[in-house]
Amino acid sequence: MNATIIFVLLFGLMLTGMPVSISLGLTVLSFLFFMTDVPIEAVALKLFTGIEKFEIMAIPFFILAGNFLTHGGVARRMINFATSMVGHWRGGLGLGAVVACALFAAISGSSPATVVAIGSILLPAMVKAGYPKRFGAGVVASSGGLGILIPPSIVMVMYAVSTNSSIGALFMAGVIPGLVLAAMLMGTTYYQAWKGDYPREPRRTWTERLKAFRESVWGLLLIAVVMGGIYTGIFTPTEAAAMSAVYAFFVAVFVYKDMGLKNVRKVLIDSANMSAMLLYIITNAVLFSFLLTNENIPQAIAEWMVTQGLGMIGFLLFVNVLLLLMGNIMEPSSIILITAPILFPIAMKLGIDPVHFGVMITVNMEIGMITPPVGLNLYVASGITKMGITELTVACWPWLFTMLVFLMAVTYWPPLSIWLPKTLGLM
Amino acid sequence: MLKVLDHLEEWIIALLMGGATIIIFVAVVHRYATGIPIPGLQDRLLAINMSWAQELCIYMFVWMAKFGAAYGVRTGIHVGVDVFINMLGGRKRAAFVLFGLLAGAFFTCVIAYMGGNFVWEIAHTDQVSPDLEVPAWIPYLAIPLGSSLMCFRFLQVAWTFFRTGELPHHEHGHVEGVEKVTIEDIIPVMVTPDLHPKEVLPKNKSGDKP
Repeated sequence: MNATIIFVLLFGLMLTGMPVSISLGLTVLSFLFFMTDVPIEAVALKLFTGIEKFEIMAIPFFILAGNFLTHGGVARRMINFATSMVGHWRGGLGLGAVVACALFAAISGSSPATVVAIGSILLPAMVKAGYPKRFGAGVVASSGGLGILIPPSIVMVMYAVSTNSSIGALFMAGVIPGLVLAAMLMGTTYYQAWKGDYPREPRRTWTERLKAFRESVWGLLLIAVVMGGIYTGIFTPTEAAAMSAVYAFFVAVFVYKDMGLKNVRKVLIDSANMSAMLLYIITNAVLFSFLLTNENIPQAIAEWMVTQGLGMIGFLLFVNVLLLLMGNIMEPSSIILITAPILFPIAMKLGIDPVHFGVMITVNMEIGMITPPVGLNLYVASGITKMGITELTVACWPWLFTMLVFLMAVTYWPPLSIWLPKTLGLM
Repeated sequence: MLKVLDHLEEWIIALLMGGATIIIFVAVVHRYATGIPIPGLQDRLLAINMSWAQELCIYMFVWMAKFGAAYGVRTGIHVGVDVFINMLGGRKRAAFVLFGLLAGAFFTCVIAYMGGNFVWEIAHTDQVSPDLEVPAWIPYLAIPLGSSLMCFRFLQVAWTFFRTGELPHHEHGHVEGVEKVTIEDIIPVMVTPDLHPKEVLPKNKSGDKP
């Protein structure tokens, strides 16, 4: 009963279009006020202690690092390197786009940022080189999704924070699925290019490739800082994020010199703006999950599901469908913060590995970003190409289908994600 | 007056963001530098205690989050599920938008009040923070201050919307500095005209003429 009231209230408020964070907060406030005698002052304290965790602070640092790199010419050098390696195959620039997105994803934790960084440079180039606009937009908007699967990933940090999982293990678990998905997307791209007889680039010599690699190496080294640092235990994930922010600043301002010192203030403000928005949703989501736990709702739903005889296979299918549907109308951070406290206890009860579950949710979020009406990657790509959302959705279809196939693999074959962190002894 | 507040807000969040990054960077470097056996320097480094860095970083980010959230109202970054009200269009949509903004103002106002009470109570105790040992009410002041500012911003945006119908809109696709990269920076390296059907045609023609 209480669960029904809470969810009707929450969805009612959300449908009015008010910020998700505010609807979460108001739901908690009004439920506590009218339905319980929990001292409402507890809410004020939670608003502070909710984000008083050092792990959460990885989010602003990763955003800052990402912003320094999107400003700098790191993306351009990565695209050069990527196309020098795969450009001579059919649909070379498209394949290059997938590789460049994968490389950029390894230094950035956000998908829209990856689409912006790669797309705004590569899309105009592709159109000029004679590729149909649709093809280019489809490749970049979908490959941008790699941004949250290949570590570092802000979405994974969100999941780790709301379920108390290990950030390091999740990051490692994203590596192999990320590479597999990149390969699958390249396959789809190649097939499309072969079918449409799209152009290819001249083959580069190894000297040229080495030169392109050397130019982009400063950006690529960031992967070593983050993953190496976390794996060897030199840094905690948050410290690694802070180090990568300082490193990214250094590279953008002093090594590549694409950014003047006077732009730093703007980057700081933009990053603070984005981080504050996410942290504000987190605080209110913490309130919301406090309310759920207080009312024993996750446990009740878990009991109910188990008595209904819903096994692991059925549950995972249900989760996938639920998340894909939510992905249509909400953005990833809110979905994870609202659903994780409810779904996670059930998953634990069914014996699903927390890290595997996290990777699966991340892949769902990735797909949610290229499905309308609310798909951040689509919006971003539409901003770059001036194409409509509907047209872009159609353009993304082949890659979307690939991702759905991949989602099934991730969902029902756990070793794909948990083999690497297990082997490395992170879990 | 409002301009001053705007600038103050921007400077506060920018400084907190940059400051926290530098503090963690220094703390990590310090931790490893103390492990290097350089006579004299090592002792001096060991004498510096950096254990407060994490706590300070958390406090700075909480403050950044509260004031940044207020700034975010002004830039329109707080997103909701607006697909359905956008379908309504016209006056109905306007009514819902206004309702959302006022609900935001109401929520932040309540939080500011409760946070204020909470800080007031804690200020009358001897509670100090674990590592920095500052009175506990000082970091907690972020809640009433930030929420009040946020409430003010919601009212400000609601008023502007009521008068002009304009809503701040955050463009996710817009990233500063990307526009500076022109296609020509990358095209000459990547595209050799000979390999493209479109470019090949004129060449063939010119080849036919002589």
